[in-house]
Amino acid sequence: MSDSLIEIEGMTFHRGERAIFDDVTLSIPRGKITAIMGPSGTGKTTLLRIIGGQLKPDSGQVRVDGRDVASMSRGELFAFRRNIGMLFQNAALFTDLSVFENVAFPLRVHTDLSEELIRDLVLIKLNAVGLRGARDLQPSELSGGMARRVALARAIALDPALIMYDEPFTGQDPIALGVLVRLIRDLNKALKTTSLLVSHDIHETVGIAQQIYIIADGKVIGSGSPEELRSSKSNRVTQFMYGEPDGPVPFHYPADDIEFDVISSQDSG
Amino acid sequence: MLDLLRGLGVRFLNWLEALGRASFLWVNAMAGLPRWTDVGLVIKQIYNVGFLSLVIIVLSAFSIGAVIALQFYTQLARFGAQDAVGLGLALVVLRELGPVVTALLFAGRAGSALTAEIGLMKTTEQLSSMEMMGVDPLRRIVAPRIWAGIISVPTLTLIFNMVAVFGGFIVAVEWLGADPGGFWSGMQDVVELWEDLGKGMLKSVAFAVLVTWVAVFQGYDSPPTAEGMSMATTRTVVISSVLILASDFLLTLVLYGDF
Repeated sequence: MSDSLIEIEGMTFHRGERAIFDDVTLSIPRGKITAIMGPSGTGKTTLLRIIGGQLKPDSGQVRVDGRDVASMSRGELFAFRRNIGMLFQNAALFTDLSVFENVAFPLRVHTDLSEELIRDLVLIKLNAVGLRGARDLQPSELSGGMARRVALARAIALDPALIMYDEPFTGQDPIALGVLVRLIRDLNKALKTTSLLVSHDIHETVGIAQQIYIIADGKVIGSGSPEELRSSKSNRVTQFMYGEPDGPVPFHYPADDIEFDVISSQDSG
Repeated sequence: MLDLLRGLGVRFLNWLEALGRASFLWVNAMAGLPRWTDVGLVIKQIYNVGFLSLVIIVLSAFSIGAVIALQFYTQLARFGAQDAVGLGLALVVLRELGPVVTALLFAGRAGSALTAEIGLMKTTEQLSSMEMMGVDPLRRIVAPRIWAGIISVPTLTLIFNMVAVFGGFIVAVEWLGADPGGFWSGMQDVVELWEDLGKGMLKSVAFAVLVTWVAVFQGYDSPPTAEGMSMATTRTVVISSVLILASDFLLTLVLYGDF
């Protein structure tokens, strides 16, 4: 068994003419929390979808647990995904089901467990995220942070080997944020799963990730532990890590010279 | 001129592509035998698309039956043939108006709702998250809705037929004073089980397939934005209405054409 659960080699992915990923190679170690970071719009979510087989790369290989995801048939893919839990950016709870039924959903469709056993399992999972008391609520009655925790309970219902978090920290209040950070860390330890976390929130991510990849313009521009990246020699990495507004990634969107632009528009107006 | 041709070509290719995606959706949703565990899902959807459409179907059927009886009665009375109101009404309703109007109303009431529901599920990543849980949304979300449509539309058509005839009876017999014996016996003599009711129901099944297919495809294929959703619901109603009317002509030609 190799040390990495996910191995991506020379992967390229285009959306229209634009290359989202250009020859990306990275590996995600087992049992650890790995973060993929980068500015918004660099296709971090796309990467998760490629790993989960919802999108196919144009070239290169994506192997999860030694198996090539792109070559799986539709049926194999659905079976393969039972071993993956994914937390979506906007929780994606099923709005027609209660909190309890949302968490019970994967258990009901993928197992033949008795109703009592399902009930116990659901309550255990809800308890892990601190929402055992909210079991009878509807998704519309939950706050954003609570919805994300319910979605997390649902994602771990089948004890997956891999949990993927898509921007788990975006739009959360400080308390919900603290809860989520703790949950991600605790779950990783307790379930011995591999956690892959996609985020652009430096502070929280650096706090829990053991390994970080920074992606920009379709390439991996830096990788290593949080400390290594902080002391990196690359300007691009430090600009991102310290959140500087100007640097290799310019503050200005490419445009004509401002004098030329402004004066010529006055002339014509 | 070239631009015009190119534009037409592009539109045609886009249309072909959409047709391909729609077929893919149909095949993947409906391939394989329905499992018994899905029966509950189908019943829930029959409630949503079928039962909740009952009010509009019954009200429309009654009005349409009443109007047709009124028109027939005033025309036929000039020849003293008021008794023929019953059979005329039954033939028009069973063969044409029942299946067609039910399907049109269904497209407006339930089809647009299906599109909006599936589109919203897509926008809120519910379909994606289901996929990532190893559950095929085509089987879990789309297929039960298609089945529910295929069961609901013919059932609603039957109800439409009955209510329309009843509405006609109220107007012609109870109000205008036609002879009830003539009304019913004329109907009994002329209307045939297969030729009139059966072929009408066959049409209804075809319309059911068309409307639900268009509705779920538009929802599933809509861009996940507010405009995308509103365009998709509009398209559902427009495309399915046109398809119903056009295919009605073709079906009538095939089923009743005598050449």
